[in-house]
Amino acid sequence: MNKKKYLAVALGLIFCVGLAGCGGDSKSQKPDSAKTSVKKVVETTDVATKGEKKDWKIAVVVKDSSNGWFARMEQGVKQYAGDTGINAYQKGPASTDAAQQVQVIQDVINQGINALCVVPVDPAACDPVLKEARDKGIIVITHEGSSCKNVDYDLEAFNNAGYGAFIMDKLQESMGGKGVYTTMVAHLTNASQNEWANGAVAEQQAKYSGLQLLDNPKRVESENNSEKAYQVAKEVMKSHSEVKGFVGTSSMDTPGIARAINELGLKGKAFVVGTGMPNECRSLIKDGSLSYITLWDPAEAGYAMCVMARQILEGKKITDGADLGLKSYSKLLQSKDNPTLFMGAGWIAINKDNVDNYNF
Amino acid sequence: MSAASLLPITSAAIANKYCVEARGGEEVSDYIIKAENIKKYFGGVKALDGVNLEIKKGEIHCLAGENGCGKSTIINIISGFYTLDSGTIEIDGTKYEKMNPKQAIANGIQVIYQDLSLFPNLTVMENLAINMEVAASRKFVSKARMRKIAEAAVAKIGFKIDLDETVENLTVGMRQMIAISRALLNDAKLIIMDEPTTAITKREVKSLFKIIKQLQAQGIAVLFVSHKLDEVFEIAERFTIFRSGKNVASGNTSELDQNKFTYYMTGREIISSHYEYTRENAQNVLEVKNLSLKNGFKDVSFSLKQGEIVGITGLLGSGRTELAETLFGYHAADSGEIFIEGKKVEIRSIKQGIENGIGYLPSDRVTEGLFLSQPIVDNISIEKWHDYANCLGKIDRTQIEKMTEHWAKELSIALHNIEDPVGTLSGGNQQKCVLAKWLALDLKVLILNGPTVGVDIGAKFDIYELVKRLAKHGLTVIIISDDLPEVLTNCNRVMVMQSGRLVETLSTQGLDESRLAELAN
Amino acid sequence: MNLQKTVKSTEFYVALIILLLCMAIQMKSGQFFTGNNLVDVVRAFSVPAMFCIGEMFVIITGGVDVSFPAIASLSMFFVCSELEEVASNPLFFFLVAMLIGLAVGLLNGVIIARFRFPALIVTLGTSSICFGIMQGVFKSREYPLCEPLKELGEMKLFSATNPVSGLTSNMPVAVILMIVLVFLGWFILNRTMLGRGIYAIGGDVKAAQRSGFNVFGILLFIYAFSGCMAGLIGVLRSTMLLAVHPNNLEGMEMTVIAACVLGGVRMTGGKGSVLGALLGMALLTIVDNSLILLGISTIWQKVFTGAIIIIGTAASAMQTKRNERKLAIKMNEGGK
Repeated sequence: MNKKKYLAVALGLIFCVGLAGCGGDSKSQKPDSAKTSVKKVVETTDVATKGEKKDWKIAVVVKDSSNGWFARMEQGVKQYAGDTGINAYQKGPASTDAAQQVQVIQDVINQGINALCVVPVDPAACDPVLKEARDKGIIVITHEGSSCKNVDYDLEAFNNAGYGAFIMDKLQESMGGKGVYTTMVAHLTNASQNEWANGAVAEQQAKYSGLQLLDNPKRVESENNSEKAYQVAKEVMKSHSEVKGFVGTSSMDTPGIARAINELGLKGKAFVVGTGMPNECRSLIKDGSLSYITLWDPAEAGYAMCVMARQILEGKKITDGADLGLKSYSKLLQSKDNPTLFMGAGWIAINKDNVDNYNF
Repeated sequence: MSAASLLPITSAAIANKYCVEARGGEEVSDYIIKAENIKKYFGGVKALDGVNLEIKKGEIHCLAGENGCGKSTIINIISGFYTLDSGTIEIDGTKYEKMNPKQAIANGIQVIYQDLSLFPNLTVMENLAINMEVAASRKFVSKARMRKIAEAAVAKIGFKIDLDETVENLTVGMRQMIAISRALLNDAKLIIMDEPTTAITKREVKSLFKIIKQLQAQGIAVLFVSHKLDEVFEIAERFTIFRSGKNVASGNTSELDQNKFTYYMTGREIISSHYEYTRENAQNVLEVKNLSLKNGFKDVSFSLKQGEIVGITGLLGSGRTELAETLFGYHAADSGEIFIEGKKVEIRSIKQGIENGIGYLPSDRVTEGLFLSQPIVDNISIEKWHDYANCLGKIDRTQIEKMTEHWAKELSIALHNIEDPVGTLSGGNQQKCVLAKWLALDLKVLILNGPTVGVDIGAKFDIYELVKRLAKHGLTVIIISDDLPEVLTNCNRVMVMQSGRLVETLSTQGLDESRLAELAN
Repeated sequence: MNLQKTVKSTEFYVALIILLLCMAIQMKSGQFFTGNNLVDVVRAFSVPAMFCIGEMFVIITGGVDVSFPAIASLSMFFVCSELEEVASNPLFFFLVAMLIGLAVGLLNGVIIARFRFPALIVTLGTSSICFGIMQGVFKSREYPLCEPLKELGEMKLFSATNPVSGLTSNMPVAVILMIVLVFLGWFILNRTMLGRGIYAIGGDVKAAQRSGFNVFGILLFIYAFSGCMAGLIGVLRSTMLLAVHPNNLEGMEMTVIAACVLGGVRMTGGKGSVLGALLGMALLTIVDNSLILLGISTIWQKVFTGAIIIIGTAASAMQTKRNERKLAIKMNEGGK
């Protein structure tokens, strides 16, 4: 019996240490975000900033306040607040946790906001609290949450096929318009990544006859593991020396393939373009093994949500082709299946010239 | 003290039983060990209630008794694993109030446990040498040193073995030799063997006895724990019998006979009678023609009449178990025919076996015959669940409880509660549970494989009586056994198997044990 | 005697299958036996092979450890994200990671050896705790690798260039550590009494106690060893990736256990050799790294991998069965 007691105490201690760790960390986050000065991170036109009233209160709730991606988004939200004088701010749980996020949303609803922009951790878990917000007359906009039901609008950075086509455009440019390429996804069962890869292939077949998709394998898996991506890329190039290009979709694919290209001595002869994070890929981009990483700018997305929220608050109707005054969101595309879903053309490509502008 | 009247031989020794003055270690004693008035309690339970055990130097002494009589407790006390609650142990003239395993080993006491304490996954050499190496606190392995130790160990009893063979590839008999030679390495003066003959064949018992005699010639005393009378007669010079934690008898084996031995062990008079088969013109129940199983047996033919008890004997690996398992449907025969009551039947699965009225009591009841952690009631009734279940599959508990109680009474199974796990019963009662399971099924043929292995002598006779009673009522029984007296007294016919062939079928009437032994080996 | 025993062993059959597979790959692609491909295979083999050593120690005693990927990930992420500014000597990073691994390993060991809880459940628990602490307390994410470790990762032992295709592969320095660890594993198992104790416990715990082995100490050692090595290997993996990917090792426990079993390490304990476990891992690595060379389409790769695992296991299992039958015959003949 005694043994078990000791064990229980030991496990309890571990648990406490864990909790203390969580608590301590979330406190240390705050001064960080306060220090960030209002920088111009997003280019805007007048459409973005003009409006009738200024006393709107807009809250943006993200998945995880400690994540670099959302720190970048916060810069966009802050810039919007600075540009317009509207009280727009960002909040988020200390870690990616659906339950904690619901708590944060509850808190901001009680702060008397006019509009709520959410990047949901788990759309289904969020839905009830979003309904609560709408019942109180708050405008609700989601991002990366097209499956949420209780929303006024969902704003996506792009449509999947369009993003794939964009990757292909950049790959074609890097490869100099000719050569054989293949595609990589994390898993063949991953819906969005396969749509991106399909979009890339469709773009090539429509526009670039100089490029050709490898016959076998047409698509390989990285299992969302950059070591596996590296091994698979090497294997493809060993068995098919004609392959000169890779479309990477997961953020693990692209750096893995780039490392393979670097090591095989194929820098400048083989190319990879795909989703990637600037900080992680910086050195690979700079040394030339990685041509472009593609992604959407979270700062722009944050800014765009705020613009959209204000336009709705001021009685404007969002329609197909609407302009939010941002480069990537100047002509919104309305989904045919879901009238509340609007997509921008929010992709960006980062190469060695502009990689230092992005720090996430 | 009540035991003293039964101890005519050692009365001289008992005279100074309570003599406490310490004798000098240098004084020469006739006894290697003298344990006096040993008491040991576990919680409130008395395991040993003032027992005495005295072993002379260089003698072969047999310790007998039923399960739970305190045999293993006294072994663990002598070897220092248990501390005694009161009493004294005198080793070679030196008195000890307390003893630990290290002291016991230093005094030349070695125990060979029933499980032999060998490492099945290591080689013979490693098994022989590892205790010495650990005792010497070695850090690194030296194959050369280990081989030397192993060779020395093997030389002690002079048997041939490949030192590089893995122990799990050896027969139990061979493993026993290894355990014995390992025990001899520490200059043993007394070797305690805990039921060494339960898991080995007749032939292996013979070579074991040869080695025990050899040890005796070297002046080593052997305490031999067994409850098989024939073995006690054959090997031991003196004996001690325990019952319920008390001495009941000790003396020279020459003064012992079967009836006395059984009486001392069980405390009741048991007379076993030869099974007389009287229905010579009864119909054939089971007939087998040219039955063969690859790697098992070949061209086996025989027929059994209703109410017969037929023994099958032969060495382990002679195909006897495979034959039984094939009749039951565990294996599907490769060729040959089986007839039940004159009708040709297909027995290719256990389900078919049971449907044709064949029951099988496996040799290893623990792993094959019972669910040890499940209640007694479920174990006995499992084959009948189908009959007692309603259309939704719900089993009528009161029905199966009634049935269990009926069989428990019929077979005199000693149990507290039918909901207790079957594993809490003694070996004999477990065996009766397996029997009850089959008897509930209205069988035509019941096959018993080693029905009394590891079963107490009292329970053993209960089982014999039960089998005979069932046979009188018309059940046909096959008993597979190594125990020749068991076969001779309880069967009316015996079949001998050798290397997968049925070599002889004999009537047990007037059959001599030595002649049967000759045929079987 | 030796040749006969070799032919009977599991190791022999796994080696045979590896050989046949290599030949098949070579015939199909002509690329297998090239310097650069062999370097690639060894590189891919190195990390899982190191895990195999710790895992086989545990399995031989009759336990199982599924916590090593979590231990490796936690210690890797901790040292790479928290100690970046504290130190510049790569050795320091490795040392701290090993200490963290040791601590978690000791926790495993104490719970399993002292309280006799089932190893699978205990290590599953610590695994979850480790991943939890990494995600909750340290906010794990993809993270750039700090300079000193990056330099180490970019070092290479040698490069192998294919004269025909001009493709180059670098042998990472980590391979030296693998060789050291494999030798250490072999030495402990075969040349020390500790190793005999590990086998003895797997054979029969009770007998091991009666023989005088310190069973508690030995069990504690193997779990601590497995944890400590996991910490080391975690950091090593990040140097090979040139980045910190906290979830990179998730799921590797299954591959490693499968490799051990494939190589003849008995799940119930007592049996297994370093050579066998490594051959098992080699087979899995080669299959995993040659499916494209073999021209098997992505859709069918998992089916093929599964088939190879079953064939590999079946070959040795059938051999064991045959040995059993031989024993029965031997007993038969012995009786005549």
